[in-house]
Amino acid sequence: MDADGTADVLVRLRDVLRDSAVEEHDWDAVEAETPIESLGFDSLTILDVLYDVEEEFGIALDPKQVVKTRTVGEIITLLQQNGA
Amino acid sequence: MAEPRRVAVTGLGVACAIGTDVESFRTSLFAGRGGIARLESLDTSEMKVGIGGEVDPEFVPAGLKRLRRRPTDRAVDLGIVTAAQALEDAGLIDGATPYEPQPVAVILGTAVGAAESNTTLQQRFAERGVRGLRPTSVPRVMDNAISGGISIHFRLTGANFVVISACTSATNAMGTAYRMVRHGYADTVLTGGADGFFDPFYYGVWNNLGVMSKNPDPARACRPFDAGRDGCVLGEGAGMLVFEPWERARGRGARIRGEILGYGESSDASHITSPSAGGQAVAMRAALASAGVEPADLGAVNAHGTATLANDVCESGSIRAVLGDAAEEAPVSANKSYFGHTLGASGAIESIAALLGIEQGRLPSNLNLENPDPECRVRLVGGVPEPLERPLVMKNSFGFGGSNGVLVLGPGG
Repeated sequence: MDADGTADVLVRLRDVLRDSAVEEHDWDAVEAETPIESLGFDSLTILDVLYDVEEEFGIALDPKQVVKTRTVGEIITLLQQNGA
Repeated sequence: MAEPRRVAVTGLGVACAIGTDVESFRTSLFAGRGGIARLESLDTSEMKVGIGGEVDPEFVPAGLKRLRRRPTDRAVDLGIVTAAQALEDAGLIDGATPYEPQPVAVILGTAVGAAESNTTLQQRFAERGVRGLRPTSVPRVMDNAISGGISIHFRLTGANFVVISACTSATNAMGTAYRMVRHGYADTVLTGGADGFFDPFYYGVWNNLGVMSKNPDPARACRPFDAGRDGCVLGEGAGMLVFEPWERARGRGARIRGEILGYGESSDASHITSPSAGGQAVAMRAALASAGVEPADLGAVNAHGTATLANDVCESGSIRAVLGDAAEEAPVSANKSYFGHTLGASGAIESIAALLGIEQGRLPSNLNLENPDPECRVRLVGGVPEPLERPLVMKNSFGFGGSNGVLVLGPGG
């Protein structure tokens, strides 16, 4: 694992994204640079991601901050800032 | 007002316990191969009944993968994958995304809607209270998730809504779609129905209603019109049909798989669950009048035929009342003996069976009809397929709430 645990958070976040998604994707290919919009999430369904993030990580993210994120990596950063 | 238009059926899609496309469904139906078995997807150890008609477990995952979708809800997923079959059959889509927007309406029946999502939500609410309710719960559990999901996925921009009238849902939806096309409110409609309810809550409430067969042999449990019948057997599934004006279908070179000749509807206005022969007869007469056909023109009746004690006696009485002596010349088919009662999808799946029968000039056998109930005074198809002498079939559907819907189906061209 990398020193700051980013890879581990990414693996867990991929599972969350897959379980919240309507569209199917190659989830193993999702990386920090992947745009969230390209995974089919919008301003409503991203709220499901928030919900599932709280289930998986035990961390309640601020919806106002999450809707501003553009990439998977930006969600990882938010998670890490909140203790993941 | 514009001249009414003939309504052609140009696309079919089906998934139930005996087949997951039109050809496998047709093969099982005319080979007399039923699909009712012990339920694999549901623990029924605490229930009185544990059988049903399940769709091949590979079907939905494979279909969703092809459409590049994640699972959402059993009924919604069954509906979307089966809708793809019908739209492709009609030549309206070609393979998976991207789809171009097209003005097709989506008018579907469902009896219980997004049952799986509802049950999941209830369980989570019971465990965790309001915090157990995920943000997208509303669009997941709304009953029109099926029509909305199909409209969005395939980019169909006509009206989309569901008709909910218990076991009449799909037939009422198809009747509505027929009128929309016939009278020019829509040029193309995807119609039919979907239901998937093999979860502890929805199967449980039917278990406790006490109308399901307790026959220990699944293959022999669903026995419409047989003296030994003891109740219905539930099945999951979806049936989808594309309706469009006959001349338009001809003009674009579509394969016309059948015609909707007429539709009638009524309410018993008497009891929430007990059927009324009088109410049923009103719908049948309205359908025949709408089609402009006489009872003697009918080659067969595709019955609602649930195999409950009450339905089959009542329905045979109403058929006899409407058809009179012509009932002797219009054998009655009861397809639920093959795949169970698919509730809000039943009218669509059984209409597809009737259309395939018209196409082949044959009626599938009635499974488990070994000793016809003498109180059911209609002519029943027996244990082997019969020729269909005239290519017009009346399709009955009757639902709790006293809702009756009847279609008259004819050949394609």
